[in-house]
Amino acid sequence: MSTPLLAADRVTVALGGRVVLEGATLALRAGERLAIVGPNGAGKTTLIRAFAGLERPKEGAVTLDGVPLAGVAPRARARRIGYLPQGHVFHWPLPVADVVALGRLPHGAGSAADRDAVAAALAATDLEAFADRPVTTLSGGERARVAIARVLAGAPAVILADEPIAALDLRYQLVVLDLLARHAAAGGAVAVVLHDLGLAARFADRIVVLDRGRIVEDGPAEAVLTPERLAATFGVSAAVERRNGRLVVIADQPA
Amino acid sequence: MTDERGGPSSPRSRAPVAGLACVLALLFVVSLGVGPVWLSPAEALGGLTGLGSEAARLIVVEIRLPRALLALMIGFSLGLSGAALQGLLRNPLAAPSLFGAPSAAAFGAVLAIALGLVDTLSFALPVAALAGALVSVALLVLVAGPRASLLVVILAGLAISSLAGAATSLALNLAPNPFAALEIAFWLLGSLEDRSLRHVLIAAPFIAAGTALLFADGRAFRALTLGEEAAASLGFPLARVRFRVVLGVALAVGGGVAVAGSIGFVGLVAPHLVRPFVRNDPGRLLLPAALAGAVLLSAADILVRMIPSQGEIRLGVVTALIGAPFFIWLVFARRRSLSGEPA
Repeated sequence: MSTPLLAADRVTVALGGRVVLEGATLALRAGERLAIVGPNGAGKTTLIRAFAGLERPKEGAVTLDGVPLAGVAPRARARRIGYLPQGHVFHWPLPVADVVALGRLPHGAGSAADRDAVAAALAATDLEAFADRPVTTLSGGERARVAIARVLAGAPAVILADEPIAALDLRYQLVVLDLLARHAAAGGAVAVVLHDLGLAARFADRIVVLDRGRIVEDGPAEAVLTPERLAATFGVSAAVERRNGRLVVIADQPA
Repeated sequence: MTDERGGPSSPRSRAPVAGLACVLALLFVVSLGVGPVWLSPAEALGGLTGLGSEAARLIVVEIRLPRALLALMIGFSLGLSGAALQGLLRNPLAAPSLFGAPSAAAFGAVLAIALGLVDTLSFALPVAALAGALVSVALLVLVAGPRASLLVVILAGLAISSLAGAATSLALNLAPNPFAALEIAFWLLGSLEDRSLRHVLIAAPFIAAGTALLFADGRAFRALTLGEEAAASLGFPLARVRFRVVLGVALAVGGGVAVAGSIGFVGLVAPHLVRPFVRNDPGRLLLPAALAGAVLLSAADILVRMIPSQGEIRLGVVTALIGAPFFIWLVFARRRSLSGEPA
């Protein structure tokens, strides 16, 4: 198999002396859509931050294109990895087009290629009509699209997104995941932290389950989302069914 | 259409810079002409170039030029410091006083006055002020740690600022005689009266170094629009950016305080005046905000010379009297978004 775009090899991360991620081994290849799921505090954000090079592992290493990430210059890293943090915050009322152009910062300043990439990202996210609107005047769903457009504008190989659909309505959840899936279809790789297991199964071709800092499952949705796993990791009694070819998780309090 | 949106050097961002530069040049010439002896712009320029009368030359070059230059330099550095801090903190209410450098510089100067060093060593006061500013930075880094979060840095800065304020009060309290106390009190009010080219030369290198540091991170401020996480992921080393900004502000503001005393609110107000002209871009804001600061302080320094009063109204008093109500209005206008509600 080809070299993974991004790989974690027995990565352990400690925050404030407490181990929050332990021995995580995970590879992300071109064209892959990965969902990272797990209960609150399981280490999902830490895993994705370590992947993004924002968290220095205590042990183990993350490699980008086979090269240790710690040795990659931040700007070169930023050109390969697009990271979308939780919350889609914008601190200044910049026009949408200017926000999307921030994704080009690792590349340079104001070249024709930059302008084309911004225009393409605005088009892909259907934001052309909003280009001159201050970003702070947009709705939550529109802001989420701006955030995705910003990452797409940087044309990274890998997109890492931390709960990109939290607080979005049903339609925008699908819109955002569809945009990310298209990036993978175009030859990129995407890893997304998700809470909705049904959407995770719909979106991803691989699901990673984190439980108390450890990766306890890594595989296709059918193999990973079993009632036994959901009981053990989430503490729920769940029925996993297939409807219209889609995996559906119906959870209940354990008896 | 993307051309219009433009990068840092698009026509759109050049227009306000050119406009501000023109206003500043105008104020500079006016500043050379205003005082007990009024000179027309032609007379002032004649004095400056040495082509006019000897009296005009003396007044302009010896008395008013240093003052005009200092107003320009200090205003420039204050406006720039404010814009850089607001960019770094992503908060429109951030001001150079936030990290304690100005109050620490003021304390250094006050200590020099209180100890009577000023009478024996003419360089003692500016050197003490700069030392105060730099010590405050060292203390800030020591207390907050090199990788501290912004909130920790702000709180540490606040604590250092309070400490410097308390120490200044103590120096005032223990002043050896009423004259020293009066000298300290007046010095704290901030003024550009009776400054010479020597003062310009003292402040210039520090203001130049601080200014250079602050101009270095415009792109990082732009990236910080997306928050610290995203800015870090875009390849900006935030710990280093923070250190550069804090050091740059200390050098630039410390240099100013060293020769002019405390001058408040210019750094807070200047960025606001020009933000709409750069479409809120915190990176493109730096130069216009610096120019706006220079315009504000030059105008204020002309104003203090024109207000009829017994003795000159202090420059720091005027900037505070105009700046503080503006600050109150700003908090009022933004209280919703400041309380964490969506804007």
